[in-house]
Amino acid sequence: MFSVALILTVLIGYLATGIASGDVDWSDLATNPTWDPMNGTFGALAMIYGSAVVCALALLLAVPVGWAAAVALTEYLPPRLAKPLRLSVELLAAVPSIVYGLVGVMVVRPFVAALGDVPGGDSLLAAGIVLAVMIMPTIVAVSVDALAAVPGRYREAAYSLGLTRREVVRSAVLPQARSGMRAGVLLGLARALGEAIAVFLVVGRADGRLPESLGGFFSSLVHPGQTLTAKLAGPEPMLAGTSGPYFAALCGLGIILLALVAAATVWGTRGTSSRATKRGLRPRRASAWLRIPRDRLATLLRLGALLLPGTLLVGMLAILVTRGSSALNPAFWFSPATGAASGGVSGQILGTLLLIATAALIALPLGYGAGILIGAHASARTARVLETVTVAIGGTPTILLGLAGYVLFSMTMGWGRSWLAGAIVLVPVVVPVVALTTAGRIRSMPSELTESALALGLTRAQYIRSVVIPYTWPATLTGLLLGLARAAGETAPLIFTATVFFGAPALPTGIVNSPVQALPTHIFTLSQDSNAPEAINQAWGSALVLVLITAVLLSLAVALRNRFEGARWTT
Amino acid sequence: MSVMTTETRQTPSLRIGRQKQLGFAASAALLLATALTGCAGSAKADSAALQASGSTTVAPVAADAAEALKSKGLNITVATQGGSAGGISQLGSKQINMALSSKPLADEDRKAYPDTDFVPTQIGADAVGVIISKKVADAGVKSLTKEQVKGLFEGKITNWSQVGGPDLKVFVYDKEPGRGTREVLDKFVYGEEKAPPPPKSDNYAIVGGNTETLNKLESTPGSIGPLSTGFIAGHDDLVAVALDGIAPTLDNVKSSKYPMTRPLFMITDGKPKGTAKQYIDYVLSPEGQKLLPKHGYLTLKQMGK
Repeated sequence: MFSVALILTVLIGYLATGIASGDVDWSDLATNPTWDPMNGTFGALAMIYGSAVVCALALLLAVPVGWAAAVALTEYLPPRLAKPLRLSVELLAAVPSIVYGLVGVMVVRPFVAALGDVPGGDSLLAAGIVLAVMIMPTIVAVSVDALAAVPGRYREAAYSLGLTRREVVRSAVLPQARSGMRAGVLLGLARALGEAIAVFLVVGRADGRLPESLGGFFSSLVHPGQTLTAKLAGPEPMLAGTSGPYFAALCGLGIILLALVAAATVWGTRGTSSRATKRGLRPRRASAWLRIPRDRLATLLRLGALLLPGTLLVGMLAILVTRGSSALNPAFWFSPATGAASGGVSGQILGTLLLIATAALIALPLGYGAGILIGAHASARTARVLETVTVAIGGTPTILLGLAGYVLFSMTMGWGRSWLAGAIVLVPVVVPVVALTTAGRIRSMPSELTESALALGLTRAQYIRSVVIPYTWPATLTGLLLGLARAAGETAPLIFTATVFFGAPALPTGIVNSPVQALPTHIFTLSQDSNAPEAINQAWGSALVLVLITAVLLSLAVALRNRFEGARWTT
Repeated sequence: MSVMTTETRQTPSLRIGRQKQLGFAASAALLLATALTGCAGSAKADSAALQASGSTTVAPVAADAAEALKSKGLNITVATQGGSAGGISQLGSKQINMALSSKPLADEDRKAYPDTDFVPTQIGADAVGVIISKKVADAGVKSLTKEQVKGLFEGKITNWSQVGGPDLKVFVYDKEPGRGTREVLDKFVYGEEKAPPPPKSDNYAIVGGNTETLNKLESTPGSIGPLSTGFIAGHDDLVAVALDGIAPTLDNVKSSKYPMTRPLFMITDGKPKGTAKQYIDYVLSPEGQKLLPKHGYLTLKQMGK
């Protein structure tokens, strides 16, 4: 928890000094749609609009499908089929956002261009679709964890009452899993709000567009727009220096972004809990009308929803393998890069591994501690506050972490570009995921476990050690893996703090001015800036390597987890 | 009795558990501490690496040159965050040793960093083209005047038929601020005046790197955007349109008749010394100059220098 507080302090300190360094005209920032630094006009309304629309679109598309797919996975499919599918979903959650961005440029842009009959297809809608595809696996993976933790006897009891499968899910399973599924959506939303790079590639980045009518609203969806994160990922933080009104206005954007994340988090937590109480008060009147057809319809819809992530997985793999075939050559893995865009990527692979290993070492104890604190130690109200804060940290746009790290480590502390700075800015990406999955698992623990532990006279510490930890560690591992998978693919925090395009040694020897090269930033630079024809192949090859690395790590760990999770008190 | 044994069995294990947790925390803290102190110790060791950063136009050449010098024991890193202006501001604030730039230094740059003695060395040149699709060019848009370019990029000309082309909507891709390419275009269109804020037209988007610009120009019908002419070599569906009747041919670029020619620079703080000097000397050598045409640029010799 301490770490969480520390991160918040650093971030707010950075933003506050930024704002103090120059006057920010807040009312102008919040209401003026024109952003024109050349002439000293700083208005962010159009970017706020863009961020809001893009996230709303992403949730609208991803949540229904994600939840339905999660239910189908746990409640409808036989375990033999569900397990590999669950693994694939986790794999999809591990695909770095930069890869989604590349696929978005290739597939989503033409799709939007055809759909809206517009040239190009760079648009808010394209960004929304890319984000929806990106967050859906996260929502499914976390929801599946929550559903799998519901003890089998609830289902058995419900079936024995003669309920249809749809009714079992609705009245026995979902109420138990709701908090975990909600956490999944919040994580997804946080990822969507904070994503910079994938959006950057497809949103068009055109400032100052604001619809004036309903028709204008729909037309604005298929035309270029700008989001807060894409603005911050652009070159402007570098141009603004570290003081003056320009820098202050950019920090103002950061504050607005944080406020949006916080608002979404608070709204998400509050909204669901009040609905839950209402539902508890009013008994639901179950209608017997068309029970069986409705059950069949639900089955169909849910299995259909499962098809979507499946198709995505197959489609993405197909694109990756055909475009990134250079990665199938072992020499590509083990030889260093030569020149701007040829040779292998061994340096980048080592750099990425170093960054995530260091981040994992720091994040695991912090995240697990925070999770236990939220789940077992805190009172219900404190837990909710802590959880909200943690989700807000997880939702902290990584581009802000990168900029704060840039100002703090690279400039103030004089580290220059440093791998350790990169690893540290990745820690806040991992910690909340670990904490939230751990806490969610603790909360879903059957109460008789707690009761019998307390009845045996266990102290709190004994209870945590011998009941909570054995019960939760599979979830913690899932959290750590999901967090690391996300961290491994992060581009935005590294481009300012830790990586260079060319010339860094594979393994750094110091900390100050010791950059590394990492796969995601390598892909980003290649896809943006290289003229050599082999650069695009190199980018896709690197993308496939990155996906394969995370896939291997995940498969090993998930296999391990499934074995132990099955052996413990769950279904 | 049995209760007692459970108690005695559990207590030590509990203690071990606590110790384990404490030990874990302690070792994590220790690890962090060693890592942090380690940095202080070896801080000097790695600062021998020359850090170059800036223009994405110059970076491929810089990276290839750095690769060639690696075998001679020179350690050079190349980064591109922020484009030309980003490189100059990082050099000004002493974060890097060399800025790569595709635009000349402005007086404002020198004014913003009075402590830095910017010394630019030209390594080659590049022509920025106003790129349109071949389809539009073939349908009649052979040349654009300055006023027409201005109208197109300000969103006042929205259909190619207004400049003698087909009945097709114009889609503008402009470069993000700070990019050398954009400043060249702004200078051509507005001279010394400031460019106005981007238009509120629907068909206007911002692009960053040169590859991104190329991909988006190619995939968008009716598009127009500024881009190094070197980047469209081998892409037959794109054309660098003539400006005021002057096409960006080698001759026109060499004689500076073509208005959007720009020099490429490596900029140092003070006269280049040590690694920086060796690096620049290599790029200026006949061997190093071969790298420029490889990436679509012009050598100093081609420019008659």
